[in-house]
Amino acid sequence: MASNTKNLAEQRRSANMKTLLMRTEISMVLIIGVLFFAAAFGTKNFLTAYNLTNILKQSAIIGVIAVAETYIIITGGIDISCGAIVGMSTLMVASCQSSGIGIFPSMIVAMVVAIICGVFNAVLVHEFNVTAFVATLGTQTILRGLIKVISNGGTVSGLHKSFTSFASGSTLFVPNLAIIWLGIAVICFLILRYVVFGRNLFVLGSGKEVAKLNGISIRKTTYMAYAFAGLLYGIAGIMLAARINSAVPTAGEGYETNAIAASVLGGASLAGGSGSIMGTVLGTLLIILIDNVGTQFGIDTFIMQVITGCVIVIAIIVDQLKKRSSR
Amino acid sequence: MDDNVLLKIDGIVKTYPGVQALKGITTSINKGEVRALVGENGAGKSTLIKCIMGVETPTEGKIEINCDGKWESPKNAIEAKSFGMQANYQNVNIAKNLSVAENYFLGCLPRTKLGTVDWNQMYESSQKIIDKFQLTVDPRATIESLPIALQAMINISKISINEKVRLVIFDEPTALLENEKVVTLFNYIKELKANGVSVIYISHRLEEIMEICDTVTIMKDGAYVETKNVTEVNKDYLISKMVGRDVADIYNIKHQEPGEELLRVEKLCGNSFVDVSFNLRKGEILGFFGLVGSGRSEVMRAIFGVDKVKGGSVYLRGKKVSFKSPKDAMLSGFGFLTEDRRTDGLALSQSVELNVNIYSYDMISKASIINLNKERSRAEDYREKIGIKTPSIKQCVNNLSGGNQQKVVISKLLCRNPEILIFDEPTVGVDVGAKDEIFKIIENLIAQGKSVIIISSYLPEAMGMADRLVVMAEGHVAGILDSEQLKKVNEEDVLRIASAVYAENNPIVEAV
Ligand SMILES: Nc1ncnc2c1ncn2[C@@H]1O[C@H](COP(=O)(O)OP(=O)(O)OP(=O)(O)O)[C@@H](O)[C@H]1O
Ligand SMILES: [Mg+2]
Repeated sequence: MASNTKNLAEQRRSANMKTLLMRTEISMVLIIGVLFFAAAFGTKNFLTAYNLTNILKQSAIIGVIAVAETYIIITGGIDISCGAIVGMSTLMVASCQSSGIGIFPSMIVAMVVAIICGVFNAVLVHEFNVTAFVATLGTQTILRGLIKVISNGGTVSGLHKSFTSFASGSTLFVPNLAIIWLGIAVICFLILRYVVFGRNLFVLGSGKEVAKLNGISIRKTTYMAYAFAGLLYGIAGIMLAARINSAVPTAGEGYETNAIAASVLGGASLAGGSGSIMGTVLGTLLIILIDNVGTQFGIDTFIMQVITGCVIVIAIIVDQLKKRSSR
Repeated sequence: MDDNVLLKIDGIVKTYPGVQALKGITTSINKGEVRALVGENGAGKSTLIKCIMGVETPTEGKIEINCDGKWESPKNAIEAKSFGMQANYQNVNIAKNLSVAENYFLGCLPRTKLGTVDWNQMYESSQKIIDKFQLTVDPRATIESLPIALQAMINISKISINEKVRLVIFDEPTALLENEKVVTLFNYIKELKANGVSVIYISHRLEEIMEICDTVTIMKDGAYVETKNVTEVNKDYLISKMVGRDVADIYNIKHQEPGEELLRVEKLCGNSFVDVSFNLRKGEILGFFGLVGSGRSEVMRAIFGVDKVKGGSVYLRGKKVSFKSPKDAMLSGFGFLTEDRRTDGLALSQSVELNVNIYSYDMISKASIINLNKERSRAEDYREKIGIKTPSIKQCVNNLSGGNQQKVVISKLLCRNPEILIFDEPTVGVDVGAKDEIFKIIENLIAQGKSVIIISSYLPEAMGMADRLVVMAEGHVAGILDSEQLKKVNEEDVLRIASAVYAENNPIVEAV
């Protein structure tokens, strides 16, 4: 009898251990730590100020997009158009500035255009009942076309000096871009935790009928989610323009893969109703880190792409296993 | 020696993170035995069923079924089926967007000589099952389009497809069924028993257990208490063993003298009802009873702004209202608990805490900023008050037992604290002790001058709780019984009103 109770206590402890390891955030911190130390001791260029700031700068832009993508994924949607909206915003801010408009107004223009793109997504998703994947795929294609038309397929340069130097600068050794990223992440975290809108995102992601019957406006929540995501993509586009000091027609291409991957790695489920900002921030870092560490070890970029793909697939499998074991 | 035993359950333990759902259950069931399983919400009944069926793997212990002398242990649902085990789970699990016939033959669609699906035969055979269970449904209808009670019945009748059954398990099959269908089910169980099939039957309605079962196993907090012959026990005995205290007549609550008229519904027409008129007064409990398809839930959905109203009017405190959305209705002081908690009541993937507050975040937030302390304390309060059994309020509601999910839904409506509370099947799957608590809360609500509408397909509840009872039949109000009349009539009388058939020349029918 006594041994039986002890056995139970042990079982419970091991169950607790298991749940701890299952916490996405904690396992990700572990993986990031292992990668970090492997690269720090295994290569000579990894642990340099230059490389570390570079990692942060790269993470910052994807990081902002990924946070917005997480919001959309929580509602049960997905946004394929984020890369294209970023590209559009980059183009807007660059062409405004090159035609002599000031920094601040040019940023406003970029953000407003990005919000309009987000609202367009919401119209398709809500009013016309198009699935998010298809709707945002359409938006993406339209925007990519528009970008080429507006820019005539060429690069737009001639951005203000103070604009681009802010992006390359640091405050207290932390790159300014990374500070913006973390600031946005904190705000988004607080919204999810403290604001009714945040709760509504989760309810909507658990089912439209549930939202409706519980007095939550599906329309308002959908519009707000996509418009807010649009705003963040706009900011990411501005950051990108400042970082590369120009707007190229391909700006932002392929960012959607990384943003979705970062969200999913961070524990968001494409079925909707779950996702965490902390997780997404770590997910972004992990994806950028894998790429960087691979380069440091001299692994072929094509092979790196295969590895990144595998990491995403593994993350999705782990997510599925977790769901199964908790059912 | 074992020859007569069909199923051996040997020391089953099941742990989930933070919960020990089963603490070592050992019992065996004979061939042709109808065994009841009783226990409070969260006692582990459904978990035990899932372990028996191989859907969940027990942490410890073994399940064995006697397949003509060979002892087998099913490792998954498919194996269980091949050993002749069939289960009807608590959460109606049928393919919602397939037709009735397709659901009957899922996984064994009849083929023509050419190898294509033989639709004619499928519909014919389906019609036979439908007739056997006396359902009124087209085998071509998609499940989604049917009322939940009918879905439950189709789920039950599905079992009869398989010829070589040895064991059939019903997990709260009658929770949503009306009297007549309960009789059909019981006849089916008797037929199974006569063919030597064993049955495990779970229900919170103890009188059903007295009627249909041979033996009863009592469980408490995941542990095995005892197994008795039904003839040796009575309801009070079972309750005291399950709950650990005596529960007196649960419907015996203090009613109020109804005040002024709060709600008046005049000649309301909608999807499946016509010319429905009734009124609701302050401090009153208005019962709604009707058979499946009588339109009782639809009337409420229409008033609440979920479905379209086709005619008639609704007056709230003498003022005409028409709600465009549930949110409108909510803000005007209505609270509506739908009958199907899993499709539109609960955000299943979210925590208990969120779901308790889901209906009233506006009440605990300022400028959209939520007061997290209030959010938590409300959830903790209700967990305490009506005994929501969960390791923590952060637990995902999908992991709660059926009855505990229902308690969460009730809490969410109580948090809103509206003037008019509409409960559609409030006590589905809730155990006796908790029912008692819920009715006490309702007693309290009317004492505060709130008005309550209770829709129930369980007559004792509808008659026991209501000040007045609206009986609906085929989309019409067939009669409204006041408290004096309610005292005089018995269940059969009410049933007779509810199954009244409207004459051909009745003008109301022509309007349909
Ligand atoms: N997937 C799961 N994860 C965590 N806990 C679970 C899970 N499934 C069940 N439980 C817990 O196991 C216990 C037993 O649940 P079970 O569903 O077997 O109860 P029950 O006797 O069927 O109750 P009810 O009468 O309410 O249907 C409950 O405390 C429940 O919270
Ligand atoms: Mg159960």
